[in-house]
Amino acid sequence: MTYSLLTGLRVLEIGSMISAPYCGKLLADAGAKVVKIEPPGVGEDARRYGPWPDDVPHPERAGLYLYLNANKEGITANLETPTGRGILNQLAAKYDVVVHNIPPDEMERVGLDYDAIAADNPALVMASISPWGLSGPWRDYKAYDINLAAAGGICEGLGASDREPLTFGTPEVGYFAGMAAASSIVLALLGRDAYGGQHIDIAEAETMAGLYNGPEALMAVYEWRVTRRTGHHALDFPYPNCILRCRDGHIFVGSPEGRQWRRLLEIMGNPDWSQEQRFRNRTAMNNLYADEVDGYVEAWLADYTKAELLEIALENRIPLAPVRTYEEVRSDPSLDDLFVVIERDDTGPVAYPGPPYRLSETEVSAAKPAPTLGQHNRAILCDELGYSAADLVKLYQTGII
Amino acid sequence: MVEQSNSNNNGAEARPGVLNGYRVLDFGWVLAGALPGMALADMGAEVIKVETRQRLDYMRMGRPIVGDQPDPEQNPMFHNVNRGKLSVTLNIAEPDAVELAKRLIARCDVVIENFSPGVMDRLGLGYEALRQVKPDIVMASISSTGQDGPLRDLRAYAPSIGSLSGLDSTMGYEGGGPLGLKHAFGDICGALHAVFAIGAALLHRNRTGHGQYIDVSMLRATVVTQGVGLMEQALTGRSLQPRGNYDPTMAPYGNYPCAGDDTWVSIAVKSEGEWQSMVRAMGSPAWAADDRFGSQYRRQRHRRELDALISRWTAEHEADVVTELLQSHGVAAAPVLGAEERLFHPHFMARGLYSDTEHPALGAEPVFNLMWNLSKTPSQVRRHAPLLGEHNREVLCGYLGLGEDELAELEERRVVY
Repeated sequence: MTYSLLTGLRVLEIGSMISAPYCGKLLADAGAKVVKIEPPGVGEDARRYGPWPDDVPHPERAGLYLYLNANKEGITANLETPTGRGILNQLAAKYDVVVHNIPPDEMERVGLDYDAIAADNPALVMASISPWGLSGPWRDYKAYDINLAAAGGICEGLGASDREPLTFGTPEVGYFAGMAAASSIVLALLGRDAYGGQHIDIAEAETMAGLYNGPEALMAVYEWRVTRRTGHHALDFPYPNCILRCRDGHIFVGSPEGRQWRRLLEIMGNPDWSQEQRFRNRTAMNNLYADEVDGYVEAWLADYTKAELLEIALENRIPLAPVRTYEEVRSDPSLDDLFVVIERDDTGPVAYPGPPYRLSETEVSAAKPAPTLGQHNRAILCDELGYSAADLVKLYQTGII
Repeated sequence: MVEQSNSNNNGAEARPGVLNGYRVLDFGWVLAGALPGMALADMGAEVIKVETRQRLDYMRMGRPIVGDQPDPEQNPMFHNVNRGKLSVTLNIAEPDAVELAKRLIARCDVVIENFSPGVMDRLGLGYEALRQVKPDIVMASISSTGQDGPLRDLRAYAPSIGSLSGLDSTMGYEGGGPLGLKHAFGDICGALHAVFAIGAALLHRNRTGHGQYIDVSMLRATVVTQGVGLMEQALTGRSLQPRGNYDPTMAPYGNYPCAGDDTWVSIAVKSEGEWQSMVRAMGSPAWAADDRFGSQYRRQRHRRELDALISRWTAEHEADVVTELLQSHGVAAAPVLGAEERLFHPHFMARGLYSDTEHPALGAEPVFNLMWNLSKTPSQVRRHAPLLGEHNREVLCGYLGLGEDELAELEERRVVY
């Protein structure tokens, strides 16, 4: 599904894996024309990450790539060569936006020096996404998802006290950087008449240590809550606020409001244990007796499936939420119109998540599949930039595209 | 509080922002609803928070409690996510307050709300009603599970979204159950997608003259971040389970123990070159030449043994030392930072990630910065979070032309309350 909010906007993306590609996807799904530049021959890293249909690896069928690059056009250019950088420059001179996640110490080498490329296009908005930002002592440090999660405050509180701290189960940090970059870009465009083009510096680590987790970091100042690895429980919340076992899997059980807890107990038949004096204060109950109470609650939960518990939650307005597998997420009818079926010759129809917001006043068009490597070389280089067919052949033969 | 902070936006003259001239009426509360307005204010918009003593924003009274008892002006969390806004107290259970809100909306570009689905309609503040007073209004509703559909009325909090979205299903030790993420992941995803959609809708409005209603659900906004898990399921039929610290393309990949009490360093190695560099950084121990670790494939296959050997090495050094050493060899590493360590981290301090803001009730207190660093108009904390109703006079008299008597009378009747 593609909206028409950004119709007419032209974006160049030099992205790999998640952060810049997710930014490009947000812009593309909102209606922008997004042209992705990949290294010739191999393409970007997500093509080698997987997963693949029936576990048959192929760079054109890598799931993460297909998802994050739907609705884009794709060209190849070797930015290590002056000719390749020339193509980037020619496009940047005509486009509105560049977004990339090339590391800071490589930017200049591959032609992403903002002042140089904006010389011909002062209205250009360029977003540079990097692990640590374009300044500061760690500017050129490397990082993958777990390093950003570790420095960003995700790991310190995840896991058991006698084991290693955990990170997200799949790479996640890039999405936050992508959202921050896409938001910054549209806001910069709103101010373009007044301020012209701008160079935007988004640090992945800061999206986690700041917006995602900043308020929590500041709690240290007030000595409110010391984050510790306390397994599936978190300290200093009223019990229950945790994931417990039920008949066919796991369910989140919460009750921040007293009436929710009272209703849950009612449904459980007001068991004797719940009347004990030591369970009067639910925060004490959580901090001191959580494991014991888990046993009581799980004994009740064992008779119910996730689906039955969700019904109970809806009927009684209490916060129970099944821990859903990805299969269950995909088959949730309430998410039907989030998933968009896109057909490519080599994969058949596959349902991908589309934009996570719905709009009232915009045209909607069908989503296009992610481009094959260099699929739009002719359309972009010849039709937009005026290269001849003979040039195109020569650029290919010399490894530029 | 943050004595060493070297970047203090507050108090400095407010710099221009890309959203100067845009006005937002912000009914958002708690976290997911408050953040979009905060971000727009940091970017220069005038954001008027509508709140009421009749039903305080929970976050004003939440933890941490500074002082002897909860006080609506003393919550640092609230101050963080509402800084930069103005506050008007309108008790919108009263029809006269709804009328005042509408008169304000007629002068706004954007309306944000995250009440339970249906509440704005019931109050007479639904999108269709707002269009009557401002035809090109951009209205964003943020909810847990969407404005309609079978899950609409589910009582859902941040952890519920983690569970429903699939996010929690892979978060845990290998072979163990899901632990649950203890952060407001869904709130942040919902808020950020809302900011993006609002910005894009304003560009669309400026181009076409049409307003927009935007329905963002935290559930959907979280599901879209589950690319690897959702695609694995779609293409192979497998639903991923908890795998500990794992990446299919990297080994080592994990958090390793360091010298000191419960301190850890994260290390991630993808390419053969990175591995060779790491071996050199470790002083080329004999075990590193073992056949079991001779390729990325083999390191993946023997990652448990690899982790144990690396842990022996890291355990002899402090996390900062391992980080500096590996990074100087071009290997990705970073300590597992706690809250205070983040607050005083030299890199974050150099970039001004946190800074002090003067608040009338609490004095200098730290706030995190948005760090949307636009070269000419960077995000900026422009003023402290408002006191309840701090701008009633400025907004209601100044914009709507109410007289002092009228305002007093509305306060008396608890319309302005």
